[in-house]
Amino acid sequence: MTKVAVIGLDSVPPSLLFDKLLERLPNFRRLYQGGLHGDLRTCDPPITVPAWMVMMTGRNPGKLGIYGFRHRKPGSYKDGYIVNSAHVREETVWDALARAGKKSVVLGVPPGYPPKPLKDGNVVSCFLTPSKERPFTYPEELKKEILDLTGGRYEFDVTFRTEDRDTIKRELFDMTRTRLEVAKHLAKRKPWDFFIMHEIGFDRLHHAFWKYFDPSHPKYVKGNKYEHIAEEYYEAFDRGLGELLRAMPKDTVTFVLSDHGSKGMKGGFCVNQWLEREGYLRFRAKPAPATDLDKADVDWAKTKAWGWGGYYARIFFNVQGREPQGVVPPVDLEAEKSAFAKKVMSIKDGEGGPMSNEVFEPDKLYGTAVGDKPDLMVYFGGLDWRSAGTVGHDSLYLSENDTGPDDSVHSMEGVFMANVPGKDLGGRELRGLRIQDIGPTLLKLYGLSYQDEAGVDGNAIPEVVEACR
Amino acid sequence: MNKYTTVSIPRVLHERIEKLLEGKSGFKSVSDYVTYILREIVEMHETNHSPAPFTSADVAQIRERLKALGYL
Repeated sequence: MTKVAVIGLDSVPPSLLFDKLLERLPNFRRLYQGGLHGDLRTCDPPITVPAWMVMMTGRNPGKLGIYGFRHRKPGSYKDGYIVNSAHVREETVWDALARAGKKSVVLGVPPGYPPKPLKDGNVVSCFLTPSKERPFTYPEELKKEILDLTGGRYEFDVTFRTEDRDTIKRELFDMTRTRLEVAKHLAKRKPWDFFIMHEIGFDRLHHAFWKYFDPSHPKYVKGNKYEHIAEEYYEAFDRGLGELLRAMPKDTVTFVLSDHGSKGMKGGFCVNQWLEREGYLRFRAKPAPATDLDKADVDWAKTKAWGWGGYYARIFFNVQGREPQGVVPPVDLEAEKSAFAKKVMSIKDGEGGPMSNEVFEPDKLYGTAVGDKPDLMVYFGGLDWRSAGTVGHDSLYLSENDTGPDDSVHSMEGVFMANVPGKDLGGRELRGLRIQDIGPTLLKLYGLSYQDEAGVDGNAIPEVVEACR
Repeated sequence: MNKYTTVSIPRVLHERIEKLLEGKSGFKSVSDYVTYILREIVEMHETNHSPAPFTSADVAQIRERLKALGYL
């Protein structure tokens, strides 16, 4: 009877877990030294939603039709919607296992709200859950069990408050402690063949505190009060991990995975101001400093394209017949996109050096791209620069996030570790691992595959399958 | 032209809805209720979108959170 557990760490990069902190983390170190490990290449875009679903369905974001937390409502200049669990229509690892009569525990994997029914399974929704008042579990009674267990303190996420990092720190450690408590409870008390938990706290730690703990960050100050917060947080998690692993059957195959990495932010590039400068975007009135684009007075009848902010930029063209005041004739759209891409490639960084930008067209990138996709996706400076969507700034280059405290951006490499009890795999490093390979690998360990294999992009990782034979 | 037309639904379903609406404000009649439900479902099918599990207050709150985290 194969039992597999996945410990999902949001946004953990190899540089922190493998290189900097491993020697302080006895439980992670044990898994690493006796197992297999490697850098895990994330999807494009390297964002939590869709990345975990790419991992769990083996399909790329274009096939899932998920391009970030928020999508544009078709044809709208301002309206969007938040991606939720119902938007994931492809089979996940736990769906495929349930089809074969296997039981799963699924804790917090995004997008996991509202919680979807799972035959003989136990499911807890993710950090996008609006509040504890809502039903957040399947079966519904599990909610009470979790709240009773944690004295009502189970939290889905921390709240970001500008420059109040003591509170964030406290909430962060509390949230993760209760998550691990719940994970341990579920691992011990519920029947499972497959167990997966997701911890968002790592991502929040990185976004809120990177400049405090990374000496190479331009804003790092030696001796600051959060200098050791990364060690403290990772160590706290490691202790909980040890207890969790001890609560699981001894023959459990364990994976430690992250959906993308993190790195220090160089700054923000004001995509919409650049679009204005290049004649793509027109305002009727000059926007006030740091105004959201949807609050600015855009002259849509004279606008050819606009952008969304985030860790990557989404670009939308104002197409005749598609947008209410479209100006780009559909027949010209391809040529417009090519000309736009050329211009983006020539953007310089704040000091006049090359920025090394990348532009992707969803249909070409994914083979097929369904859902509410942008016309183009842009990475500024290999993601070192985030895309700032607000307007009215003095410069195209911001040294800070335009929307709040933020010191880190996303990177393309997450972590992979696999440990097989009773097998010394010698801490061997694997190369070329991709997140879409995870789902097919997990299913293969049970001798299973997805119901519809035709659209699956990933392949089972042969070294892992071999190690589990 | 009359703005309304008649569709048939099982009498039992009609009674169930009547019962459901007893003591509830917001729907004046079974027709009112059925129109409301159908509008939602039809729009969902037309736009190929799932019904939103988030209220507009949820969306505002999630947007603020994602924005503060640099995701928007």
